[in-house]
Amino acid sequence: MILLLLKPKLLLLKNSINTQVVLRRLPFIAIGIVFWLLFYIGTYKVLTYVRGIEFFGEILSRKLFSMTFFSLFGFLILSSIITAISFFYLSKDIPLLLSKPVEIRDILRVKTFEAFMNSSWMALSFMPPVFIAYGISYGAAAGYYLLVLACFLLFSLITAGIGITIAHILTRVFPAKRTRNVLLGIGVMLFIMIYFLVKGLIPQDISTPEGFINSIMSFKTESPMLPSFWITEAVFPILKKSSFNIFYPIIILSNALFFLLLSEIAGLRFYRVNMERIQPSSERVKRGILGGYYPEINTAMFYKDIKIFFRDTGQWSQVFIIGALIMIYIYNFKSIPINALSGFPFIKEIMVLVNLVLSGLVLSAVSARFIYASVSLEGQAFWIIRTSPVDINRFIRSKFFYGFIPVTLLMLVLVFLTNFVMDAKRILMYLSLGTVLMLCVSVSGLGTGFGAMYPKFKHENIAAVSMSLGGMAFMLIAFSVVIATLSLEAWIFYVYNLKEAMDMSGAIQIVLCMVMIILINTTAFYLPLRIGRKKLQEHIGII
Amino acid sequence: MIILDNISKSFNVTHAVKNISLTVNTGEIFGIVGPNGAGKTTTIRMMTGLIKPDEGKIIVGKYDIVKEAINAKSILGYVPDKAFLYEKLTAREFLIFISAIYSIPKSEALSRTDEMLALFGIKDIEDELIESFSQGMRQRLLFASALIHNPEALLIDEPFMGLDPFGIRMLKGVIKDLSSKGVTVFLATHSLYIAEELCHRVGFINKGSIISIKTREEIKGMEGGLEGLFLKMGS
Repeated sequence: MILLLLKPKLLLLKNSINTQVVLRRLPFIAIGIVFWLLFYIGTYKVLTYVRGIEFFGEILSRKLFSMTFFSLFGFLILSSIITAISFFYLSKDIPLLLSKPVEIRDILRVKTFEAFMNSSWMALSFMPPVFIAYGISYGAAAGYYLLVLACFLLFSLITAGIGITIAHILTRVFPAKRTRNVLLGIGVMLFIMIYFLVKGLIPQDISTPEGFINSIMSFKTESPMLPSFWITEAVFPILKKSSFNIFYPIIILSNALFFLLLSEIAGLRFYRVNMERIQPSSERVKRGILGGYYPEINTAMFYKDIKIFFRDTGQWSQVFIIGALIMIYIYNFKSIPINALSGFPFIKEIMVLVNLVLSGLVLSAVSARFIYASVSLEGQAFWIIRTSPVDINRFIRSKFFYGFIPVTLLMLVLVFLTNFVMDAKRILMYLSLGTVLMLCVSVSGLGTGFGAMYPKFKHENIAAVSMSLGGMAFMLIAFSVVIATLSLEAWIFYVYNLKEAMDMSGAIQIVLCMVMIILINTTAFYLPLRIGRKKLQEHIGII
Repeated sequence: MIILDNISKSFNVTHAVKNISLTVNTGEIFGIVGPNGAGKTTTIRMMTGLIKPDEGKIIVGKYDIVKEAINAKSILGYVPDKAFLYEKLTAREFLIFISAIYSIPKSEALSRTDEMLALFGIKDIEDELIESFSQGMRQRLLFASALIHNPEALLIDEPFMGLDPFGIRMLKGVIKDLSSKGVTVFLATHSLYIAEELCHRVGFINKGSIISIKTREEIKGMEGGLEGLFLKMGS
């Protein structure tokens, strides 16, 4: 029965894969492979460096492994909760399934599978370079790769089981009819999770290199109650070619089965009641203080989008994920032992640059969620725009500002705070804020354009849009723009500060770099918007 | 007035619409009937500017829907066969939004919104989210949004979908009233008795081509009426 219920989705997948589609997606696949390789090289280099540290190398390498899974554990659970609410309660096929002679148990299992795949596919696709880097660094045998993949799959199932169980309980506990309350519950939970996470991460002493290493070692990631500990204990012996211990793989397997079973029990107990309570009610919406506001044509779409954003659980709930990312990000910067590293020349400048690279990563991820998906947000109601006297340029402009304004504000605050925490020089502060502003403009243009080029008006939930192949490609290209811009800026800095004397060639190099920065960012802003506009005008599969 | 001048549209190798030429006069109600997949919806979508014709041109009022799309769309009202709306807006907010994108001044927009909500019997649910609306209520809201800017031409794809008998009766009255005020109405439907009752002329479309156009009087004089003619043409 489960296979039968999955068949429509599998057929959909099969029908959407043809030579034309594969050829069209080839550039995205190529970009993905390039990033996979870069990710592998980066991890391998970091690992080689870490393992080379005297006395602590091996311990740090093991610590990094468990810390990776510790962070993944929290985020996968959160992602599972939000995905589970979408797939179990908001999917469009639910009314059809419930009206057919299908056992609830089978519906729950199918939705569990779908929620699991959707919440963890990104982690499942991006973790292999880390595993391979560890394997190659330690010269591990084939058995290691099989074991780590199997353990990771089971680890993801544990998070899915926990996430789904929490989703059922939250939907049951909070007054239904208003799914937003459910998500508010998640917000509270997230806050508690982050609180404890941050508490666990507080380094005791970061004023010296020893203190820094000690504080890393004191990160509370190795509780024997945590799956990140089990997976480290299961994998490391075989990685280091010592004897294989079956105990921890069995612990992981039994927990995966237990949490899946628990999620099914919670589903059997609550699902039907929750579904009845979650049906849209004919509740009146208060007009509020802006009730009398009448937008003009330029602001009408923007105003409509903002209004929908705050009413659509699927949209505003994503703010929590972003919020969690940013809190951890700022906290991590606070933890950087700049004083301990003060012996290095230009350490502050380097840290400001690293900060910009990392905030560029945040910018790419946030833009995928809020800017790339903005065109698809119209959904199948896009016919309204297409048949009304609204120029498509005006529509795209509105979508651009809808994403650009909050993302830019967020990024400026983020970079300002992190630089402030690091006590960066005033000139560096201005330069980084200027750079981030420029990147926000170009990445917002890129995101809106890409979103218009690959709209998904018939999406099941908006989170799935940013996770699509187009969304991933956008994220990778956006990050490439960030890296290219920052590399050129770093080169300008190098030429300006570190060359013994500024000669003619130095000046030419600086001018060339500046021209390239302008070219890259202008192209990233303008070209996708232009192509997206054309594609959107020709888009016919609307209703 | 709406003029279709030799329009054709193909999707890959399938001819959805073939060389349709037609003039719908000001204030006329023109119905188009035909079997499923005959090309009714594609024709209407080309008239709204959702799809570009491969050949030929469409004039709405005095504007070409492809070359002067914004002008043409500003005098068009469209009611599609599927009621996809912004689910998280209320009926009032939706009508205000539509008024804004048609650049209707605020005072006029507010009075037209109240007028439309009252006319289509949705005044008492104006502050409820559209997601809680029944199919019939959505259809009423669609009509309200298509008429809020006083269009010169109204394109309707399956107008009576999901409406109860009261709604159908009310809507028939609205369409007749619009026609008497000079609004050109083009509707595609499967409800033959409604087409027979409402339309001044009815066109039969099959396999993308209009094979016959009859006036109301001609249809009345025929044995079996519109249904008899439909079955004959369809076969």
